[in-house]
Order: sequence, then structure tokens, then C-alpha cells
Amino acid sequence: MSTESPVLEISGYSLTYNTPSGPLRALKNVNLSVARGQTHGLVGESGSGKSSLAWAILRYLPDNAIENDGKLLLSGESIRDRTPSQIIEVRGQRISMVFQDPSTSLNPAMRLGEQLSEVMIRHRGLTPREATEASEQALERTGITKPKEMLERYPHQASGGEKQRVVIATAFACNPELIIFDEPTTALDIITAQQILDLFNQLQDETSISALYISHDLGLVSRLADTVSVLKAGEVVESGLRTDIFMSPRDDYTKKLLSAVPDPKHWLGVNAPAPELPILMSAENITVEYGRQSVIGRLFAPKPTHIGAHEVSLTVRKGELVGIVGESGSGKSTMAKVLSGLQEFHGVIQFGDSHFSKLDDIDLPYRRAVQIVFQHPDASLNPRQRIGEILSRPLKLYNITPKEQQTKRIIELLEMVSLPRDYINRFPHQLSGGEKQRVAIARAFAAKPEVVICDEITSSLDVSVQASIANLLVALQDQTGTACLFITHDLNLVRQLAHRICVMQHGKLIDTFQPCDAEKPNRNPYTRALLEAVPPPAGQFNMEPIT
Amino acid sequence: MPRAFRTAAGITGLGLLLIVMAAAIFGPFLAPYDPQVFHPTNRLEGPSAAHWLGTDQFGRDLLSRILNGAPSTIFFGLGATLFGVGAGSVIGVIAGTAGGWIDSIIMRILDGLLAVPELLFTLLIVTFLGGGMGQAMLAVAVAFTPGMARIARSSVLSIRTREYVLAAVARGEPSRYIILREVLPNAISPIIVESTIRVAFAIMIGATLGFLGLGAQPPSTEWGLMVAEARQFMFRNAWTVAVPGIAIAMAAMGFNLFGDALRDSLDPKRNE
Repeated sequence: MSTESPVLEISGYSLTYNTPSGPLRALKNVNLSVARGQTHGLVGESGSGKSSLAWAILRYLPDNAIENDGKLLLSGESIRDRTPSQIIEVRGQRISMVFQDPSTSLNPAMRLGEQLSEVMIRHRGLTPREATEASEQALERTGITKPKEMLERYPHQASGGEKQRVVIATAFACNPELIIFDEPTTALDIITAQQILDLFNQLQDETSISALYISHDLGLVSRLADTVSVLKAGEVVESGLRTDIFMSPRDDYTKKLLSAVPDPKHWLGVNAPAPELPILMSAENITVEYGRQSVIGRLFAPKPTHIGAHEVSLTVRKGELVGIVGESGSGKSTMAKVLSGLQEFHGVIQFGDSHFSKLDDIDLPYRRAVQIVFQHPDASLNPRQRIGEILSRPLKLYNITPKEQQTKRIIELLEMVSLPRDYINRFPHQLSGGEKQRVAIARAFAAKPEVVICDEITSSLDVSVQASIANLLVALQDQTGTACLFITHDLNLVRQLAHRICVMQHGKLIDTFQPCDAEKPNRNPYTRALLEAVPPPAGQFNMEPIT
Repeated sequence: MPRAFRTAAGITGLGLLLIVMAAAIFGPFLAPYDPQVFHPTNRLEGPSAAHWLGTDQFGRDLLSRILNGAPSTIFFGLGATLFGVGAGSVIGVIAGTAGGWIDSIIMRILDGLLAVPELLFTLLIVTFLGGGMGQAMLAVAVAFTPGMARIARSSVLSIRTREYVLAAVARGEPSRYIILREVLPNAISPIIVESTIRVAFAIMIGATLGFLGLGAQPPSTEWGLMVAEARQFMFRNAWTVAVPGIAIAMAAMGFNLFGDALRDSLDPKRNE
């Protein structure tokens, strides 16, 4: 640890937003310092104020933001009282930022090379030709295999990982004193995210740059931060060395966050069903083809079709929880849509005694027995219907309870998912994300289904809320004996819950195993790559020094 | 009052609209003089104690004529828009929910109709049907239908892929329920907002048709007709042209500003 002055020092800083519904205190008396050459991790859930802090450091706050007289020092100088034109000199040159979603942080109408050279021309005063050469070298340093070609491409012609490398190259381009990373790997696949993390550590070794790494993912932060601060509702509740925070947390909130991180060694699921139980649902050789054109289309402008799923077969037994993991584009959501009767397919779905070989065959009894819960809680509830009406639909549609008893049943459902009964008259926008997801789960279980398909139901939620939703699902499964198909990209979580795990890649089902066999040598190499790429759960952090 | 209406534009729009609607409903009863009676000794006068807004070329009181013409002008605008929105929304919803070749056929026909400028379209129809308020209203309604159908269709298309609609499909809800209870209530707000803005257009087109002699016929007190008749006297008494002109502008602006404020208040992202 260096004894020089810290590169970033924030002391006693508070930020309040003046909203029409009253002042919103976003940051309260924040104290934070990033030492030179070190990475400081800032951990907090959504709404904790981490992005506000990043914008405050870059002095890009909206008009209704009111700051107090707290200090913001960059290498000992205050950056608070600078004029807008002075701030422009600071941004990009002394502080740069890497954003979360590379597809929106790069200008889609400019080539990648231009966007990279822009920074160099502006802040380092290079000529365009020099800037192009420097861009090529910068891209090579970030591990892009053909940098000259990449410079000529547009953002839509590059993958998420490549785009994020370009953004990182842009951030490093002017050798700033501080780089702020705002959740740079959240929008990327697991394996790509790990590559970006390795790149980050490598660049940090090479250049000793100071970084403020903002994330909600504790496991991730444990692999790259030297010091950590935990932010809760605008206040820093705990701050210290990585080893201290993760091995011996002091604050209750920190402990709560750490315990919510999924740990595969900690089994949460129900007991495995007996092997003689019948197979409830089986999908045989399901193939989904996207982009089929009409005859005329194929004649004049044939476009290749995209195979969403290729001959996928899986089975679900009564009371079982089957996990499906894979990266985006692997076909897991396609399978969810096929099995819930939303997507055309080739192949056979067998459910009990019924056979379905195309979408139109699927009948109401099947739809009742197989329910689906979607990923985004904001989009899965009709914003114009009250919760009571949303929950009453399955009851009415499937004639589950007579009219007089519907309200009673709805209240029972709300209690089943631990929601207060007066939510029955609320609209979805008055509930939090976790509460909306509970309502969606209650809606699925209202139909008394035999299989519930959960399509990434925890991916849009904060870590602590994820844990409570997972626990809720298991409790309901225990109560009702419903089987569950749990689709996710979070391997740690699925190892805590599933009796069997299926791995999908590029539309094919490439591996099936039980959680206890996860580390066995006969696993498919892709499965092993996924397992290695997933951040280690709490309590198993690698505590050796990073640099 | 919803927050979106508390802006300067919202309050102005609401105020103008109230004045205009009050005139449309109560106008004929509030008129001080009979709008058709001549006062030959006071022709082409400016505002005076007896005639608050002046008189026209026949000595008819302008204030009374304005108040008397308010219902026909405003209700023309409202009626034409309602028919146009109604027909257009139905077509748009059918196209949006049906998809496939039905959607394609409907949209290509609408594209063809949209290629014709609205005013020209109304002139064409009115030439066929002859002049008169009813025919003009029908013409304007038909001219509005393709535009409204496009808006309704795009609104329905964007709602159709939302997860709550997918959830309803997965549950096996009948299509009628899905369209009426899941899709329409959420797709309707752009349609409502567009309609209020179109009322302003309808009033102006009606005034133009009146001006051209194809809508209201003399001695009707419809505002566009008043402007047309007063054109030749513009330099002898500007009030004869200005009074109905400003009235038309007030109505159009009122509906426009109201429509903007309504759009902002219905936008779920701005509400808590």
C-alpha cells in the first residue's frame, strides 16, 4: 500500500435530488478514498446511490441535484469548484469511465477506430494518423486479435466482449489517474465477463492504474478489489481491506449481503424425488427454427434461418427441480417458450398421456398444468390491472374456485408468497421488483400446476432479493409437490436448488449432471469452463493478494 | 390536477379549452343579439359599447356570430375526429393483432391512402359528395382514418410482445380477452393523445373547407365561412377577419396544448 496521497478522496459528501414528490437523499455523508495504484470496490444494491456517486465524481449531475459542502479531491485538488470548460479537461484525461452496457455506450453510427482516436486527438493532441496507430496498439493491449480490422468495424459488427474491450481501451487511452468502472461485466456472458476481469487485472498489473470498481456482485468484487466499501441507501456502512470485509464483516448489512451470495455447498432445495416416480413431462428432439420465410421471400431474397434449439430432449419427473444453464443465445429461453406453448416447434412434447407435435395441438389442460414465470418483473404484470385482478385470472379461467371464494383464495395466495393482504388493491408500479416477482410466482401457482417453468426469474433482481425468491420457490415446491424447470445463467444458484442440471450451448443440450457430480472429470469441457468462470461464493474467496 | 397539467403549457391549454367548450355549449344562449339580424346603420364598425367585437359587412354583431358559430365549428372538429379515430383504431387493432397477410394487405392500402395530402383528400371526397357540414365531417373522418390506423397498429404491436401478454397467451386465455383486457387498455393512451391533437386539425380543415365554400354554406355562422366572407372587407374593418380567425386559433391551440399535457400525464414513466 503506498503512502502517497490518495488519487481520489471523498469526505463528508452528501447529495440530494429535488424530485416533485419531495427531496430524495441519494448520498449521505460519504467518505471514500482510492489509493494510488489500487482498486477500490464499491458494492451496493440497486438504489443505493453507487451510480450517483460515479456521476458526482465526474461532475455530471442533473439540475435538481443539490450537493452539500463535502470534499471531492482528485490527487489532492478539489474538482468541485471547476467551471464546465475546466471539467471537460478532467474528463477523459484525468478520470475516465467504463459503463455497463457496451452496446449503448458506443456510438452506433461511428466506427470503433474513430471513437477510440477521438479521445486521443482531443486529450493527447495527436494527429489523426498518430491516433490511429496508437488506437491499434491500445486494442492489441486489450487482447483483440485483429486490431486493424476491429478499428474499421461498427459497433453492431462486434460482440459484447469485443465492444467492452474497445471501451476499456478508450478509458485507458490517455493514462488517466482514475478509471471508474460502473458494472462493466453485468451485461456480458459469464465466460466473456471472466475474460474481461482477467484483462482488467492484467492491465492493472501493467499500468498500476487506480480504479473505482462499482458492482452489486460481491463475488466479482472479491476477485479484483484491494479495498472495499459497502453502500446501503446512500451511506457507507462498512469500508476496509478486502480480506477484512469478506472474511470478517462487521456490519449486519454486509453480513446479510455475503450470506445471500449463492453457495453451491449449501443445499437449499427439496429432497430429490424417488426414482420410481413417473416422468411427468418429456420433450423429444425439439427443434426451433427462427426466420422461416414465405415461398416468395425464399425465391427473391433468401436469408439463412437461425436454429434456436436443435434436437433438444429433456424430461421432468414429478416433484423434481431441473436446472437449465447456458449463456445468452444458448436456447434456454427458447426451450422455456416451447414448453409453455408460446413458440412453434418441431418434435414431440409428451405430457402424461397427451402428445403434442406442434404449437396448435397444445390444449387448455396442458396450459393449466404447465405455468411460466418470466424474467422481468416490471413487464410480466399488466400495469393497468390491480394485483387482485391479476391473481384472479387463473382462478376464473380454469374454474378453480367458485366466485364467492375467489377473494379468500387470492388472500391465501398472497400469504403463500409472504405479501400483505392489502396488496390486493394495489397496482404493479406500487410494488418493488422482488414483490412483483412474488406476485408472478403466486399467479403461476394459483393455477395448481404440475410444472412451473422459471425463466431467469432472479436475474433482474438484487442479490439479497434473489436469495429470498429462491427460498420462496423451494418452499412452494415443498408445499405443493410441483415440479420445476429452473432456467438461469447463475451456476452457483442452480447448484443449490436443482436435482439435475442441463447445460445448453448454441441450441444444443450438451451435458446433464447432478450437482454432486459437478466437479467430476467426465464433464463436458464447456461445462468445466462455465464452472471456472463463475465467481466463487462467499467464504471461499481467494484471499491471496492480487497484485 | 395531474402534475403534467401544472406546466405553463398545460394550464394555458386547459384554460383555452374551457373557454372554447363553454362557448360551444352555451354560446348560442349567451349571444346578445340574433346573429342573423342586420344593423344597417352600424355596418363594419370596430368594437363599441353596443357591439363588443364590432360588426360585419351587413351590420351583424360579430360577438353573437362567433358564439353562435362555436357549436358547429367545435362539434364538427370533435365529431370528425371521433369517427376518424373510431374507424382508424378498429382497423389498426385488427391489423396489429391479426398479423400475417391480413396485416400486410391493410397496411399497403393505408400506405396508398396516406400518400395523398389530407386536405386534398377531403376536397376530393367533398367534391364527390357535394358541400355541406355533414359531408365535410365525413370527408375529414375518412381522411384521418389511415393515420389513426397506423398509430393504433404500432401501439398494439409494441404491446403484443410484452411479457404480460405472453403470460396471458401461455395461460390459454381466449383471444377476445387478450385483445380487450390486456392489449387495448395499454395501447390506448397514444391513441387518445393523438386524437386531441387531431381535433385541432379537424377544426382547421373544417374552417378551410368553409373558406373554400365546400363545407358550411351561408348564412351559417361557422367560423371558416366567416373568414371567407369577410376577406374582401379586410382593409375596411380588420375585425371582421380577425375575430373568427383568432377564435379558430384559440380552439386549435387549446386542443393542441391539452393534447401535449395529456400525453405527458398518461406517460407511465413520468408518474410514480
